[in-house]
Amino acid sequence: MILASSYRSAGRRATERSIGLRSVSSAGFLSSQSGQGIAIAALSGGLLWLVWIYGNGLRDPRYFDGWVLAGGMSLQLGFHIATKTAMLSPKLAMRWRHFHVFLGYLLIAAFISHSNFTLPDTSFEWALWASFVLVTLTGVFGTYLAWSLKAKRGIDERIGYDRIATRRAELAQEVHAVVVTTDPVAAAFGLPAQPYDAWIMDLYTNHLRDFFQGPQNLTAHLIGSQRPLKRLTDEIDKLSPYIDRQGQEKLNAVRTLVVEKDRLDFARVYLGLTKGWMFVHVPVTYALIVMAILHIFVVYAFSSGDW
Amino acid sequence: MRSPEWLRSVGLAQSETWARPSSARDRFAIVLALVTIVGLATLFVFSKGTSFLMPGPLASAHGTIEKCSTCHTKSGSGQLSWVRGLVAADSHADSKACLTCHKMPETAFNAHSAPSDVLQQSTERLTKIAVATPQPQSARAQSFAFPTMDLVAGGVTCATCHQEHQGVNFNLNKISDEQCRSCHVVKFDSFDGNHPTFDNYPFKRRTRIVYDHAGHFGKHFPEVAKKDAAKRIPETCSTCHNSREDKLVMAVESFDKTCSTCHLDQITGKERVSGPKGIAFLSLPGLDLESLKKKNAAIGEWPDASEAALTPFMKVMISRNARARALLQTVDSLNLQDLSTASDEQIEAVTDLAWEIKSLFYKLISDKASDALGDLNIGSGAKLSPALVADLTASIPRDVIISAQQQWLPNLATEMASRQVTSEQDRDGWSTVTKGSPIAVSASPAPSGESDPVQAAASVTPDVSGGADTAPAAGGEWSDTATAASDSSGDSSPDSGTDGGDQTASTDTSSSNEPDSDDDTAANEAKKPVKFDPPACVVRVLGQCLVSNGSEGGTAQPKGAAGKTDAAKSKAANSNETSSADKMPPAMRAGLRDVMQAADADVTRANAKAAHGATDSGRRMVVAENQPASKSAGQSDDLLYPTEEELREMKALNAGGGAAAGPPGVTGKASTSNAPPEAGATIDAEASAGVPTARSQTAASPVISIESTVDAESWADYGGWYRQDFAMFYRPAGHKDKFIYSWLFLTGPQALKAEASPAGAVFDYLTNKDAQGSCTKCHSVDDIKSKGRLVNFAPLSIESKQGRFTSFVHEPHFGTMDDRGCLTCHTLEKDRAYLKSYEQGNPQSFAANFGAVKKDLCQTCHSSTKARQDCLLCHKYHVNDAITPIMTTKVPTQ
Repeated sequence: MILASSYRSAGRRATERSIGLRSVSSAGFLSSQSGQGIAIAALSGGLLWLVWIYGNGLRDPRYFDGWVLAGGMSLQLGFHIATKTAMLSPKLAMRWRHFHVFLGYLLIAAFISHSNFTLPDTSFEWALWASFVLVTLTGVFGTYLAWSLKAKRGIDERIGYDRIATRRAELAQEVHAVVVTTDPVAAAFGLPAQPYDAWIMDLYTNHLRDFFQGPQNLTAHLIGSQRPLKRLTDEIDKLSPYIDRQGQEKLNAVRTLVVEKDRLDFARVYLGLTKGWMFVHVPVTYALIVMAILHIFVVYAFSSGDW
Repeated sequence: MRSPEWLRSVGLAQSETWARPSSARDRFAIVLALVTIVGLATLFVFSKGTSFLMPGPLASAHGTIEKCSTCHTKSGSGQLSWVRGLVAADSHADSKACLTCHKMPETAFNAHSAPSDVLQQSTERLTKIAVATPQPQSARAQSFAFPTMDLVAGGVTCATCHQEHQGVNFNLNKISDEQCRSCHVVKFDSFDGNHPTFDNYPFKRRTRIVYDHAGHFGKHFPEVAKKDAAKRIPETCSTCHNSREDKLVMAVESFDKTCSTCHLDQITGKERVSGPKGIAFLSLPGLDLESLKKKNAAIGEWPDASEAALTPFMKVMISRNARARALLQTVDSLNLQDLSTASDEQIEAVTDLAWEIKSLFYKLISDKASDALGDLNIGSGAKLSPALVADLTASIPRDVIISAQQQWLPNLATEMASRQVTSEQDRDGWSTVTKGSPIAVSASPAPSGESDPVQAAASVTPDVSGGADTAPAAGGEWSDTATAASDSSGDSSPDSGTDGGDQTASTDTSSSNEPDSDDDTAANEAKKPVKFDPPACVVRVLGQCLVSNGSEGGTAQPKGAAGKTDAAKSKAANSNETSSADKMPPAMRAGLRDVMQAADADVTRANAKAAHGATDSGRRMVVAENQPASKSAGQSDDLLYPTEEELREMKALNAGGGAAAGPPGVTGKASTSNAPPEAGATIDAEASAGVPTARSQTAASPVISIESTVDAESWADYGGWYRQDFAMFYRPAGHKDKFIYSWLFLTGPQALKAEASPAGAVFDYLTNKDAQGSCTKCHSVDDIKSKGRLVNFAPLSIESKQGRFTSFVHEPHFGTMDDRGCLTCHTLEKDRAYLKSYEQGNPQSFAANFGAVKKDLCQTCHSSTKARQDCLLCHKYHVNDAITPIMTTKVPTQ
């Protein structure tokens, strides 16, 4: 009983320390995603309609959507500055971040309208266009990462990228400790050891030791595949019917630790990507702002018609 | 407040946000921004111009433009000069650059480039329609959110509609229906939707050519066919109408191909039953000489038989200054042939008029017509070009005028030379101011100098002799009037006329005619404006040169003027030549010599040496040729006495009744072919008897020695000049007669209906119902508010469609018509008062021959599911077009 309870506590500990899956109901998730999509589509459509009637009013619509774009970009830049200067409280920063993402989607419509649904013709226009597209794509990618982390598997938001290695080592020690632990009652009476522990040790030796030694399954995590995890859990599950109750509890603790390790690997991959896309998103935004300012000056210097 | 789940789901990992900013990432971002700045700066430095800033290729039509500053006027050629464009300036500056190639009217930046009043009228009309037209929601929203009124009020720039840098194949003329709608008060969805119904389309005004389709189809064509089956009667609409190359005008074929069959004879006057078939152009109006004589009016010689009226053309020619116009106003209220009740002022006006007429004749003979009529007070006051004057006079030959003058006013040169000329002459051109003319009324044809002494004796101020004497002294009648007049004025003054006037004049005359007087002659020659070829035309309208390039050499110092003076001197020394007689063909010169001899014989027989200064050039030539260069003043009188041989010749001429004589104006006897020989003899006898009677000039027609049964009018059957009685007539030569056209064209703008004017009189004369040429039988006359009247010579053309918002191309529709052909759309309305609408001058007040085209008819094809129905299919934006001029390339020189 004591052993079983120790195995449970190990599993619970692991679960508590894990990056824990957030429970999001599929119905709520779908509705939230749909609501977001509909709102963005509606606002984008409204923007395009405004641009259309603006053009119908004998004005150059590029000025209208251009200033919508410039205004939106300015807000996004404001968010970046506020973040950098730590002016915002965590709660406010969270709201700003959500708005940053939402506005980013709307600006895609403004940008498409501003480029008049065509590709650029000249080098400067291409540079401007490519910068915006790069910023947008990295932003969308970052959003996807955040969404996939939460929607698919989730990670503990308290765990940073730098603590993953330490946590992985802890998990390795924990699983090793679980596996090597023998039945203290049998050992006290000098009874021969049950084969179950040996079988579990074999499982650890053949399948789990390397898994817990370092980051694993990078590709699978990138594509969101859980097949490697399933393979491991299947091995554990296959052994489970042939061992006694104590052994089963031990296997359950191991299983929990395997899942936790897999999530840690997932978190490592995604937190790494998150750091990576920001390395593109922010610097290119700086370059885009420089070119956008020049673009505005050039447009007004050469303007001929009405806006 | 809790964030919605969907927002939280897309949030970034909090760990990332809360993490300290990545110094490496920020450094990289700043470096990248700096690299961007440096890269752009490098691009600016090393690139050629600012083309790398171009947002896209130009449309193919503008593809050759390389410099931004060609269109972007504020942009210079330097790499950073474009920054100047950020400074506010004229918002239309770039659009004005467009107009350097695309020619537009001054109203280019108005909506539709149309004049403001047109837009206002259109808006007022459409506002009424808009009330009944439902507006689409999008149009309402657009009007509310982005109104265009202020935008358009400031002037529409070219780039508003023509967006460049959209690619080589971009259609710059593309404009959407919604864009059209944004400005218009009538906002509708589509043509097959709520587009307003047509308002009497396509009739905006009555047709320029008066052609009653219903009348021709139902009456004239059948009658002509019945009368003369050989005559060409149109069978189809396309016999007269065709779609021209521009496709926009269903034009009328030329007159020769259509109307001439029936209407040509109406133009030439062949079908005219009553009245003269020609247009009286110049005349010597009949005057009440008896009354004039009673009131001592000094009008000089004047035929008493004339019953002609002063022609409106002469009124225009005379009324070239305010004084002359006032004079005509006074005279217009008089019956010139009954002046018995006229006041002294009116008599004075008639006297002045008589001299104005004489001056006109004198000038027409002594000078080129272009000089004499170049400053006519018509055609907006600009000097008329020689070509236009030629049209205005139908290139009347000088001989025609000379011939008339010789018969009507044989002593014109003498009279003109002896008249006083005031300083006003210099100011007002050639118009002569009469101030106590020494020549009294002499109602006689005054042939040569025969009757002059007689008349002089009977005249109130009998200084005819002086006047006659001074004629030669003037150095010839053909010299400059002012010069001649100033030379002679002193001699012919009343003071010097009687007491030794002869002697004085004679002395003066001889001295001026002497070879020793080279200096004077040469000086006169030098004073005379040297005439050059007509200058280049500056303003040309419908083929007529209205304004010449500067004065016609009148003031310009000619090349080699000194040489010319020298030449004049040498010529004067030899022959005192001042006329072109020497340049005449030998035959003509011979004829003139005969005439001169005959005239001299008359002069001798009448013993009136003053007659030596008679007017015809031939005599002057005789004087010039026969007078010895060394003759003194006193000897010059000898020439006035004929030799025996000449006397015999004169007698022979008299015996022949003038039939074989030269122009009667010279002899004064053979005045007409119709007159019996005795008449001349009688007159001669009267004259020689010194009877101061006004001889009856029973006929002023040209004398012909060849018998002919053809009268002058019939002789000019196919157009041209002829003379009858005391008027010179012009008979139209056919369609598009330049004489009538040019007079109507020039006088129309001054022919205000409410205001009588000489120009208006000409216009009325040529456009009245029975006018010769019958131009306005078919060419309608429009009253243009405060701008006179306009004869619509040109039928409907692409030019006349300028300013219209709607265009229609017939050709694509030909295949869609049913068996009724043109009548599918154009229904003939037989009962309309088509012709009645031409009885007034407003072209907008009319009744068309055909019914209006209905929108429903067009809508059968032009709908959302069939043929196009966008605005630009039928309406054009630039109602006056934007023309790209042809490049002006200078001819390469060596």
